[in-house]
Order: sequence, then C-alpha cells, then structure tokens
Amino acid sequence: MRVGDIAAGRAGDKGDMLDLSLVARDQAAYDMLCKVLTPERLQPLMNRVVPGPVLRYEIPGLRALKFVLPRALPGGVYASLHPGLHWQKAAIWLLLDLSIADDGQRLLAPSDGLGPFT
Amino acid sequence: MADVACVLGAGAGFAGDRIDPAVVLARAGVDAVVLECLAERTLVPALRARREHPQAGYDPRLVRRLTPLLPVAREKGCRIVSNLGAANPVAAAERIARLGRELGLAGLKVAAIVGDDVSDRALQVRWVREPGAPLLGAHAYLGCHPLADALAQGADVVVTGRVADSALFAAVARDRLAPGQTALAGAIGVGHLLECGGQLTGGNYEPMAGAGLPPPLSAEQYAGLGYPLARVMSDGSAEIGLPPGAPGMVDALTCSLQLLYEVHDPSSYATPDLVVDFSGVRFETVGENRVRMSGVRSKGPPPTLKVAGFVDRPGFIMDCEIALAGAGAHERAEVMARALRLRLGDWADRDIAVDLVGAGSVLRAGSQPMRGPVPELRVHVSARCSDGEQAQIVEDEVYAMTLSGPAGGCSVRSEKRPRIEVLDGFIAHEQVPTQIVWSQS
Repeated sequence: MRVGDIAAGRAGDKGDMLDLSLVARDQAAYDMLCKVLTPERLQPLMNRVVPGPVLRYEIPGLRALKFVLPRALPGGVYASLHPGLHWQKAAIWLLLDLSIADDGQRLLAPSDGLGPFT
Repeated sequence: MADVACVLGAGAGFAGDRIDPAVVLARAGVDAVVLECLAERTLVPALRARREHPQAGYDPRLVRRLTPLLPVAREKGCRIVSNLGAANPVAAAERIARLGRELGLAGLKVAAIVGDDVSDRALQVRWVREPGAPLLGAHAYLGCHPLADALAQGADVVVTGRVADSALFAAVARDRLAPGQTALAGAIGVGHLLECGGQLTGGNYEPMAGAGLPPPLSAEQYAGLGYPLARVMSDGSAEIGLPPGAPGMVDALTCSLQLLYEVHDPSSYATPDLVVDFSGVRFETVGENRVRMSGVRSKGPPPTLKVAGFVDRPGFIMDCEIALAGAGAHERAEVMARALRLRLGDWADRDIAVDLVGAGSVLRAGSQPMRGPVPELRVHVSARCSDGEQAQIVEDEVYAMTLSGPAGGCSVRSEKRPRIEVLDGFIAHEQVPTQIVWSQS
C-alpha cells in the first residue's frame, strides 16, 4: 500500500529547512507509519534528493508525524538549481509515494520496483 | 464555553495572493481581515525599491489590493491588519490614507508600525553563521503588542513591515482575551493556522485515496475558494470555518496539516511573544466545514527575537529550458542534455543541474518511473554564474542547441535570478524598540 493511501501530507520550508508533515487517517495507520517511517530508514532515501539529517517528531494527539530536514535546502529557495522556484512544495510526494509491505511491518525497498527511488 | 473574543479572517497568504477573498470575508462581518503579504524574501525587492526611491519599498500591489476592500471594511466596521508595508510601512500608511481620500472615505486612521528594521544594529545580531557577504538588510520579527496598541488607539488599518505572521492575528485578539499566557498562546496558534489563507480551506491539499473521504475540490471550487475565518474565544480556543456559501474544505485533516506547516519542533514553536506548544492541540469537527481548535499551550516568552538578514551573493543563477516534441522526443532530449553538459564543462557538478522537465527535474531520484513515451519534454539547465557574462554563456549554449543539437530544439526560455540568501540571527528584545506613526485620510 502507498503511504498516500493512509495519510495526507504537506511540505513546507523555512530558510535551509525542509519540513514534511503526514497526518494518518486513523490510529492503525498512525501506528503503522510510526513503525515503518523511521529516520534511519528514510535518511538514505531522502539523501538521494536532498542533503542532511532527517529528524522526526511524533504528535499522537493529531495522529501526525513531522519530518524536519534542517539542511535539505542549502541557501534557501533562491539558491536552488531546480527549474523555477519552490520545487520543495512537491517534496511531500517523496513520502506519499513510498510503499509499505502488505504485512504493514516495513517499507518496500527501491529494489522492489515500486514508486520513487527505483 | 468561553465568550467569543473576536472573529478574524485571513484575506491573503502571500504578496501575490488573490484580492477577492478578503472582500468576501469583510462582507461576512469579521472584526478584522488580516492580509499576510510578506514572505521571507519578499523584503528583498522592497529594500531595493526603497534604495531607489525613499517613498517606495512597500508592496506594489497595495492600491489594487485595498481599493475593493477599504469601502467594504469601512461599511462593516472591519479592521485591516497587514504586513504589506514591507520595507517602508510609513510610506504604505500614507498611501493607504491617500487611497482612502481618493475613495471618499474621510477620517480613516492608519497606523504604521516601525522598528523591525535593525540593519543599523547588525553587529548586535547573533547570526547563525558569518554573513560572508554584504547584508542587503536585517529585519527583526516583531510581536503582536505594538499592533494591538495601535488598534486600542483606534486604528482602522494597521500596516507593518516584518512581524511574525501569527502576531498579525493575535494583535486583534489581545485585548479581548482572558488574562494570562494560555489565551494569548491560543490566539497565536489560531494566527499560525490562518496565515496561509486558502491553504487551510482545501488549497494545496490532496485528500488521501480511500473510501468515505471527501473528493478533492473541483476546478470551480479552487477558482472560487473561500479563505478561512476563526471565531476566537476569550480562552484562546477557536472555531475555524468559511464565509457563508464560500467553497472550500475545512476538517481536522486540513487543520492538522496547516498547524504543523513550516514548524520545526511542534512542542516549541518560537514566536516573538511566546514559545507555543502545539503538541496538545485537538481539532473537533462541530459542523460542515466547522472545526473547533483547542489545547495550544504557552512555554513563556522567547529569550530573543529572530532576525532575518539578506545576503547578496555575487552573480546569478541562470535557469534555462528548451523543449523537444514529436516521436523520439525523450531520446533526443537525453542526448541534448548530455551535449549541453559537455558544452558547459567549465561548471563543477555542484554548480550546475541538467535534467528533463517532465521526467524528473522536480523530485529527481525520488520521481516516479516513466511509463511509456511522452509527447514532449523540456531540457532544463540551471547554473550558478559568478557574473552576467557567465550567465549569458549558459543561455547562449542552450540557444545554440536549436542549430547545433539534436533535431527540433524549440520554445526556449530563460530566467536570470539574483543569488539572495536568507540568514537567521537573534537579537535581544530591548534592542528592538517600536513606534506607531499615524496617517489619516
């Protein structure tokens, strides 16, 4: 299943920081996302697109996970070498398009041939 | 339940935002419309304009934005609070007063809030790193109090430069809240929720796939999107909604996403007045497109104010595209991209990107894989250039592909951007005195 099937998301930025928020549709989805979207699992994937560490904050009252990448956008919006400005508005799809194994226990690897990073 | 302290509307979420939603909110009878028109970098063109002309430096959309709004606001007794003063709030206030006269609205009291410009105190700012280049400007983020003072003294319009976006909203609520930090923290939280306008009411929002959830908004709904309003209670809780009849979507999901938007640690969100804690926030749906928000807590005032400094790096980023269409467009585009990289061999990898718009230029390695041929693509080049001559070379090399590259290179376009960086810093509260400057129509 796709992360975007069980959570809604939005990307934002402030200076060099990229922030990615996910809100799960129910408690089971939140528990699953907490289990599979660990910073350790995500950082190597994210680092194929943006540099730096991945921090995670849990907000159980909102069934939300917040990922903060403090050095992902070096120099901020105007320093980007992407076409046009504000590519990072789409960065939430780096998470939404990830796939979770049917047993809900792990993220599928890029070598499984699904979604981004393949 | 606590009494209603005030009703706030979010009429704009950035400088170029739509004009009409604010008018709809004013007609709906909100106590104040807030127009957030000053992103981090929006100050840079404003500072340049002020350097050219001492009466410039405010949002050039001021007249277009306020012409339809001022008469409705006057008729309805609705205040206007906005940071569209940018680098020159006093000139903006004078222009608003003059606009009031031009519209036949006598006696309009306009307050300019001055004091955010700390460029003459840049040495007292603790920067997170050395600026390394001359500063174009340095502006501290002001809190709600000078704005609230201006409203208490009878301002119909309050115009500012750099102020925390959430403080534009909290200023209207301040004097109508229960005493103590918790209620003010709530109003700051409401302001944070509202500050991006349509992003709270279904804009930039993709509902998750799955049964039982509302579909995305239609083209007609996006085109006529209502911007949010909030009934702020005296205890700092609030009910979030839409103007009557306005299209949009407000539910616990849209509110949760916006609460977390551009926040670092949700349990310690620093604003000039208070560090607020969003970790205990609850959103309850209380009706169609009506959500009750509660549970924002205060962690006390922050030790310092944040400062945004602007560093003007020499040179430009040259951003060019050239299209390919017809059968084999993808293959020709791949070859053209490689040929361009060879032609621009003087650029180190870290200073240039050559990729295909339509195949992965946005999410790069995180893009969905291509499935089947596409009818057209664009080859994109962005390169850091130390001066205008280098930028011209990049543009010329892209154009030269129309004659000397794979067949059919067409529809070339380019943009030369200055290399402005924002640098964060911190300054002591007492280093940032503020002042109210009045204009009247």
